[in-house]
Amino acid sequence: MSTSAAGERSNPADKAYRWVDDRLAISRGGRHLLNKIFPDHWSFMLGEIALYSFIVLLLTGIFLTLYFVPSETTVIYHGAYKPIDGQRISEAYASTLNLSFAVRAGLLMRQMHHWAANIFVGSIVVHLLRVFFTGGFRKPREINWIIGANLLILAIFNGFLGYSLPDDLVSGTGIRIAFSILESVPFVGSQLAFLLFGGNFPGTAIIPRFFIIHVLILPLVILGLLGAHLGMLIRHKHTQFRQAHAREDNVVGTPLWPTFAMKTGGFFFLTTAVTVLLGALVQINPIWQYGQYYPYKVSYAVQPDWYMGFLDGALRVMPAWELHLPGHMIPNVFFPAILLPGITFTLLMLYPFIEAKLTGDVAEHHLLDRPRDRPVRTAFGVATFAFYFVLFGASATDVLANYLSLTLNFVLWAFRIMAIVVPFIVFAVTYKLCKELQQTPSAGKRQQFNLILRSADGGYTTVPAEQYPGYDQPELAPVDVEKVELTADAAQQDGDEGVYEIPRRYR
Amino acid sequence: MTGALRRLVAPLSLVAAAAGLGVLAFAPGHAGATAGVATGATATASPPAALPGSLLAANATRTHSSSNLQLGQTLFQESCSSCHGTDAQGSALAPNLRGLGAATVDLWVSSGWMPLANPAAQPVVKPDRFTRAQTVAIADWVGSLAGGMAIPHPNLAGASVSEGMSVFALNCAPCHTITGAGDALSNGITAPSLHSETATMINEAVRTGPGNMPRFGPGTLSQKQVLDVVAYVRRYIQHPTSGGNDLGGIGPVAEGFIGLFVGVGLCVLAAFWIGDRTPRDLDEHAHGSDVPHGPGTTEHA
Repeated sequence: MSTSAAGERSNPADKAYRWVDDRLAISRGGRHLLNKIFPDHWSFMLGEIALYSFIVLLLTGIFLTLYFVPSETTVIYHGAYKPIDGQRISEAYASTLNLSFAVRAGLLMRQMHHWAANIFVGSIVVHLLRVFFTGGFRKPREINWIIGANLLILAIFNGFLGYSLPDDLVSGTGIRIAFSILESVPFVGSQLAFLLFGGNFPGTAIIPRFFIIHVLILPLVILGLLGAHLGMLIRHKHTQFRQAHAREDNVVGTPLWPTFAMKTGGFFFLTTAVTVLLGALVQINPIWQYGQYYPYKVSYAVQPDWYMGFLDGALRVMPAWELHLPGHMIPNVFFPAILLPGITFTLLMLYPFIEAKLTGDVAEHHLLDRPRDRPVRTAFGVATFAFYFVLFGASATDVLANYLSLTLNFVLWAFRIMAIVVPFIVFAVTYKLCKELQQTPSAGKRQQFNLILRSADGGYTTVPAEQYPGYDQPELAPVDVEKVELTADAAQQDGDEGVYEIPRRYR
Repeated sequence: MTGALRRLVAPLSLVAAAAGLGVLAFAPGHAGATAGVATGATATASPPAALPGSLLAANATRTHSSSNLQLGQTLFQESCSSCHGTDAQGSALAPNLRGLGAATVDLWVSSGWMPLANPAAQPVVKPDRFTRAQTVAIADWVGSLAGGMAIPHPNLAGASVSEGMSVFALNCAPCHTITGAGDALSNGITAPSLHSETATMINEAVRTGPGNMPRFGPGTLSQKQVLDVVAYVRRYIQHPTSGGNDLGGIGPVAEGFIGLFVGVGLCVLAAFWIGDRTPRDLDEHAHGSDVPHGPGTTEHA
């Protein structure tokens, strides 16, 4: 690094670094970045799961684009998979089959890509929940909250597009549903649907169009927003939980280099390992079993990927109501499939402002709330989440009915009732739990074990025990930033697992 | 009233006589003991599990055709006649089987659906109580009464799995799902899983249409197409090959479950492992503390 002694100039890496630094002056900004302080709490790493699964998605996705042919031109398949041998299928489907059976590691890459997509959206949701329940969206982070919500929407959309690309029977049914949903938009639905599909369903334009959106446009938008998301994270610095030495005007934690870089680097490999394990051991989307999509073929029990589940569930539980306006009918599909997600994501993005308006709290917040300390927000959040979770479950009515030996009609009605009742119950229970937890200050804290000693004369003395018996690493004390120059070498000299605090200045 | 009584008594006596005769014919060594038991069993319409073991063992070794018919008749009258009537003519409880053919009877017995608690409801699969030879004997005997489709012996040697997959996707997947995992249809009706059916059962089901399933007669599917679809189910639906554990073939529901709880779950556990678990010592003035600090804070005399 830049602090190397003059005698080590002969090191080629060091020389190269000097050469670049002399021309681009990267040391100053780099030092700032490497000194960024990361709070240690595990829940701050949830967003990183999304980041790293996105990297897995990019890498495996690049591999897949080398072999996938986004074309609906009909070919006659003569490949490794016998049940499709001799059938007329699209090039998109044929190339996905070849990718799965003829390309070395192709199936592993496909399955890793699909599992990573599931993990990507899932970790975004988990990360969002953490930020929501701890109040991390409050001033000055509202813009970043909105960017995050948009990343979630884009991730869901791009997942759906990728799922649709192989042109197989199941995803074709999904595209058919998407076409109908677009058509249900009042007044301009047909035009919208024809615009996107380049004509009536199914047409031949949709796979190439979805492909470009899936591999080029949305990944670029996601990358841009991700850059902005992380840029603002650096600008604002991390939020932190209330703990020793943590104040609104500082950040306590470990610097990016070397401590946090090692942690997060390891975390990248662990996340990748999970996708590799799933990709290698668990089948996902076996398109060869599904066959080519033809509009006249349909399979029962078709579900979308889980992140579209709440929409599918909403479509299933929605009663067959239509709105008849003079001269225009708004079809049933519009309410669960357009209106519901529209309201959902609008409210999600506006939530920081709604809460600030309702509570009158417009101050800056860098210290996070414990969920129990904001019982109304927490109960509202859990109840809303419960509502979508019920809808999510409703997308599996048929599977649940089959596995629980219940009638499909009963399961459907159960979900209809649960979608309305469960949020209220959950709200009440959560609110009460929060209030109870507030009365229990020791809940969630590290347990303090006490030894009760009896003296010779019969008296009892209580002495705090060793915090973790056998764990002799002392509690790490924060080091004042003014006293320690935060460079890699200094950090190492000072005991490489030091905890630091730095002042928070972003204006 | 008397008519009803006669209808009840006549078959019972017939059953008792036939059962006794059958036992005498097949198991002379145990005739005295088993005949009494068998008569009692039919008179109270007990399930076939009440059949004496020696009778079952003796019957299983019989292969001759006319003896087989006799065996089938005996077993039918032992186990089926209390609902379907002694001559398979049906009753208020169960339908007439005459003319349905051996294939229908074979499918319903070998699948474990019989006896039905409620003929209108989805059959519950019960353990098979007959050997293959006994099932065939019962089916052949019913078939011998008034004809109908014989038990098929699908020869899959020249079948095309590619044709079979097309036929499957068009005709079977709309209920049984494209992976053959089966699923719940409306009002408690289920399209069962195809993951363990034999070739004969699939052939019989396609041709005879059990329960709510449509019957695919020769005008709908040719014999070649039936063999193709049987071959596809046997070789591919029942043996999903690539990509690891297939999660029961129920698609994104299982995949989402694994993705969320195993995929995201493992990653969150990893974060929990790497990161810090609880905030260090919350500021006491911020949240208070009920935990005693320092040595000797409390002392009891």
